[in-house]
Amino acid sequence: MKSAVSVLKRLARTLLIVCLVVIGSTVLIRFAPGYLSDAREMDARYGDGARAELSAEAGRSNSMRHILSTEMSAWTNGSLGLSRQYDVPVLDLVMPRLAITGGLMLRAIVFAWMLALCASLLSSAGRNPSLLWQAPATLLLAVPTAAMATICLVAGSGGPALVMTLLLAARDFKFLDRLLRKTWRDPHLLQARAQGLTTLRLVRAHILPSIASQLLALATLSIVTALSALVPVEVIFSVPGLGQLAWNAAMNRDLPVLLAVTMIMAIAVTFAGMASDGNSEWQGA
Amino acid sequence: MRGRPIASRLLLGLVLIAVAVVAAPRSSYSNQDREMPLAGASMHHPAGTDALGRDRLVRVAAAFLLSLAGAIAAAAATTAAAAGVGTLSAFSPATLGRLGMLVCDVFLALPWLFLLMMVRSALPLTTSPAHSAAVTFLVLAALGWPACARAVYRGALDLRNSEWMLQARAGGLRGKQIARHVLPNLVPLLMPQFLICIPAFIIAEANLGALGLGIGEPLPSWGGMLLELDNSAMLLQTNWVYLPIALLILILLLLEAIAVEV
Repeated sequence: MKSAVSVLKRLARTLLIVCLVVIGSTVLIRFAPGYLSDAREMDARYGDGARAELSAEAGRSNSMRHILSTEMSAWTNGSLGLSRQYDVPVLDLVMPRLAITGGLMLRAIVFAWMLALCASLLSSAGRNPSLLWQAPATLLLAVPTAAMATICLVAGSGGPALVMTLLLAARDFKFLDRLLRKTWRDPHLLQARAQGLTTLRLVRAHILPSIASQLLALATLSIVTALSALVPVEVIFSVPGLGQLAWNAAMNRDLPVLLAVTMIMAIAVTFAGMASDGNSEWQGA
Repeated sequence: MRGRPIASRLLLGLVLIAVAVVAAPRSSYSNQDREMPLAGASMHHPAGTDALGRDRLVRVAAAFLLSLAGAIAAAAATTAAAAGVGTLSAFSPATLGRLGMLVCDVFLALPWLFLLMMVRSALPLTTSPAHSAAVTFLVLAALGWPACARAVYRGALDLRNSEWMLQARAGGLRGKQIARHVLPNLVPLLMPQFLICIPAFIIAEANLGALGLGIGEPLPSWGGMLLELDNSAMLLQTNWVYLPIALLILILLLLEAIAVEV
């Protein structure tokens, strides 16, 4: 009963955060200095009358209440709004790309976790942090994602999944190495090692269960990191996913699309955070 | 702790060299040598020129100074905002504190790159390069504070519940007097946050610039110069195209070394 109330409370908080994110993003967009400017106003093919009509249209739809109600109705009727650039419902643009982006992120996260976990288990077994493991991770984190993707593209080796995997693995490795190094020094593990328990058994029966909640929190962080790497990777490798859609929308000032993609990402991050928090609470109980 | 002084000195050396390059007579990041586009290294242009005939070394030096100054200013603003929100939330009644952390959660739920793109794309079409640079770093500062504020909140809560604080409050110290004691105790927490933010903001600016949403031309920026790597014809012509990315990685490694050692 207590845990059900706790889950409900967490769900309510998550929903509140999602609502605040929608309102916050809308406010941010509305008060951005160029909200009322439209790229079509600079198009020579439009006459003065058409430009005046565009300005009047922008003026009519500039109240916060109007923008919020339009957004809410677009989300409740399932269309997610109307794209300014393509003149089609945003949902039609998002749905086919969602699978591509989801697949790319899933592959990258799974590979990165395998790589980071193996590397950190090997690295943390040593007495001191080894430069052999630390240096590549530090170097990978110092390269901007866009530059890494461009270099891979120019070199003709590696694709979007590899770039995202390397970035995520480097970040995850840093956390996991520190975490495992600390865990290996726990007195009960020192005792178990002294008694001759095999490393495999120690990892499976003692280390992984004891760091499970931190691993879940790290998994949420992996999603956030993957989302921030998504745009440069998809744009540079021409992957027709959500990141490329958002970039196209940003370049063409298609704010309904950009707002919808941002919302989807925010919802994904919030629910992932809720899942990891909920799990650690459940384990604690 | 040995790495930090070396990294700091190297970074300072690079800053001094960049200042000397930018301040040298007749060197301007926007001057075009129309006779020499994509030239290799020469006496006039030690690192060659870009596709528009602009001196690459001057542009790299100016981009370095601009991004470092912008990132430091943004990191300072972020740290100050985080210190304010975190400390106030910790020292105000529990409901207000929770409200402050809810605001942090809302910001943390927003994917920053998408939000940056959203704000940058909503700027007026006639935004000047200097304005675009200011807005880029301002937005970075506005989005960077929540994670830091959470850490400050935890630290400030520990301070609030500490025995010397109880003693101070029981002794009748006023808010201002307590703040005078609390803030120095938060410095060890704020300093690493400030130092971590600097390379993070430089990378964010470079990523945004590489997407064409960062600092506008003709102002030089890391992101703008990374765009050169897209041009395979240019890569075949001169290896100096790799100078910005090599220098950027070196600077980020130095900043990382300084931040880790604090």
